[in-house]
Amino acid sequence: METRMIPVVYHPRYLDYWFGPQHPFSPLRQRMLIELIEALGYSLNPVLPEPATREEVLSVHSEAFVEQVEAASTGAPLPDATDYGLDTMDVPTFPGMDEATRYLVGGTLHAARMVADGAAQRVLQLGGGLHHAHHALASGFCVYNDISVAIRSLTRSGLRVAYVDIDVHHGDGVQWLHYEDHDVILISLHESGRYLYPGTGGIHEIGEGGGKGLKLNVPLEPGTGDDSYLDAFERVVPHALAWFGADVLLVECGADAHQRDPLAHLSLSTYAYEQIFRRLIELADEHTGGRAVFALGGGYDFDSTIRIWALLYLLLQGQDLPNSLPMAWLSKWQDWLHTTLTPTLHDPSPTQSTETVIAQNRHVSQRLMETVVHYWT
Amino acid sequence: MRDPAVTIPPGTSLAEAYRIMQHYDVRHLPVVQGDMPIGIVTDRDLRYATSVLHPTPFSEEADVSQVMARNIITTTPLDPVEEAARLMRRNKIGCLPVLEGQKLIGIITGTDLLDAIIRLTGLQRPTGRIAVQLPDTPGQLARVAAIIDAQDVNIHSVLTYPNANKQTLVIFRVDTLNTRALADTLRASGLTVQWPPSD
Repeated sequence: METRMIPVVYHPRYLDYWFGPQHPFSPLRQRMLIELIEALGYSLNPVLPEPATREEVLSVHSEAFVEQVEAASTGAPLPDATDYGLDTMDVPTFPGMDEATRYLVGGTLHAARMVADGAAQRVLQLGGGLHHAHHALASGFCVYNDISVAIRSLTRSGLRVAYVDIDVHHGDGVQWLHYEDHDVILISLHESGRYLYPGTGGIHEIGEGGGKGLKLNVPLEPGTGDDSYLDAFERVVPHALAWFGADVLLVECGADAHQRDPLAHLSLSTYAYEQIFRRLIELADEHTGGRAVFALGGGYDFDSTIRIWALLYLLLQGQDLPNSLPMAWLSKWQDWLHTTLTPTLHDPSPTQSTETVIAQNRHVSQRLMETVVHYWT
Repeated sequence: MRDPAVTIPPGTSLAEAYRIMQHYDVRHLPVVQGDMPIGIVTDRDLRYATSVLHPTPFSEEADVSQVMARNIITTTPLDPVEEAARLMRRNKIGCLPVLEGQKLIGIITGTDLLDAIIRLTGLQRPTGRIAVQLPDTPGQLARVAAIIDAQDVNIHSVLTYPNANKQTLVIFRVDTLNTRALADTLRASGLTVQWPPSD
């Protein structure tokens, strides 16, 4: 049975990407997830990646920016740090920051190469998803953009890439880094920038030059539930993937569109996530020869985030979904977090949207498709 | 402001003026004698002047001086952007030549005003949005700004929308994804935060 399991890329050094106890982007999420996977009876048996090299990071970031991150990692005083988004509330600096981030980047890169080399078909990268990092700007908890480094490596070896971003925040860093790329299609579903960070991701941001019509944004209303989200997903994602015909699918699996997430306002339940993951696996089988890399991302409510990523793991491995979570795991982490955790893998029930939200999201998805189809010749 | 403006001298033909508009992708051409603007011609002026709808259509070789607007409204580099917007709106015009003394130094158009809105709203950098309902009395903005400052968060832009009941809705664009923490702090200080919502 072990031989049929798909590879999981992970390194204990991922846990060093830590901005301190008060910061929402916590490596505790991976610790809880790995312990849950093991408590469910699976051995993680991860593929250990090398950290990305400086040169690999420079494939999408500026030399000046990398120098700042390196200097910040040694604790050197940095008068210009905030010009690069460093030493801010979202991205405080910490010792070893450069190397810790390069481990996450190296993981996503390694996963992408395994798929490109044919060493694996589907790979789960148990970290990364730092989609807000820009060419010369750290932002939104992200230092280096692991997703973009992986995409660039794939396109440089002649492959065409489809990227789907289900994090509740617009994948702005990835978008701007590949805005003119003709060999990369991007689809980001997120809470509308009218309400949520980073403020971008409108339907008229469709790419430039050779990339025009290949950057798709689906901005969703606050309060969007399972029904409306899945409706928007189906109106956009399958058509875009079918038309573009990529060699590899890359997915940013942020879990922060869940209704419990404290930093955003969509209302998905775990049922929507199960359906999204199943569809993405199917769509990879149909359109990218099954080749797909799934990375993590945002998700700031421990209870729902861990269950969503456990779902992702189980679905990728083709395993049955248990009803309840193991008691020992629950009681350990309830004590640790001083809170009550949901005892089942799924939420009690799916969520629904109001008529207004359904109508608005449908309208936006339709307008988006009408806009981009014009460029799909 | 576009600086320098694309201009034409009097005596330019309608056809040539139209070609220049196409080439530079502009819709407004100041007609300039020496440094001094003596009129403005727009793409619409040219199209109407040569249209069958015109009572006495001009030939394409006619001089722009025959069709240009002569009573031009201008601004100066020191005028604030909102004044430029008000002038254009009130006079229903699409551009303002910018003069230093009698000399034309640039042109501002409706497109420049849209760019200004984008810049003023702070949308060129990734930001989160916080909306606070404040009483329209002295010191309110300072109070909020001090709280945001204490959290070490940078404010990229502030927009104020006065509304009824002596209240002002103030929209801050701040350089954090975690607007929730900030909103909680503002609420704890007794402020009415309209966005992000509480639980």
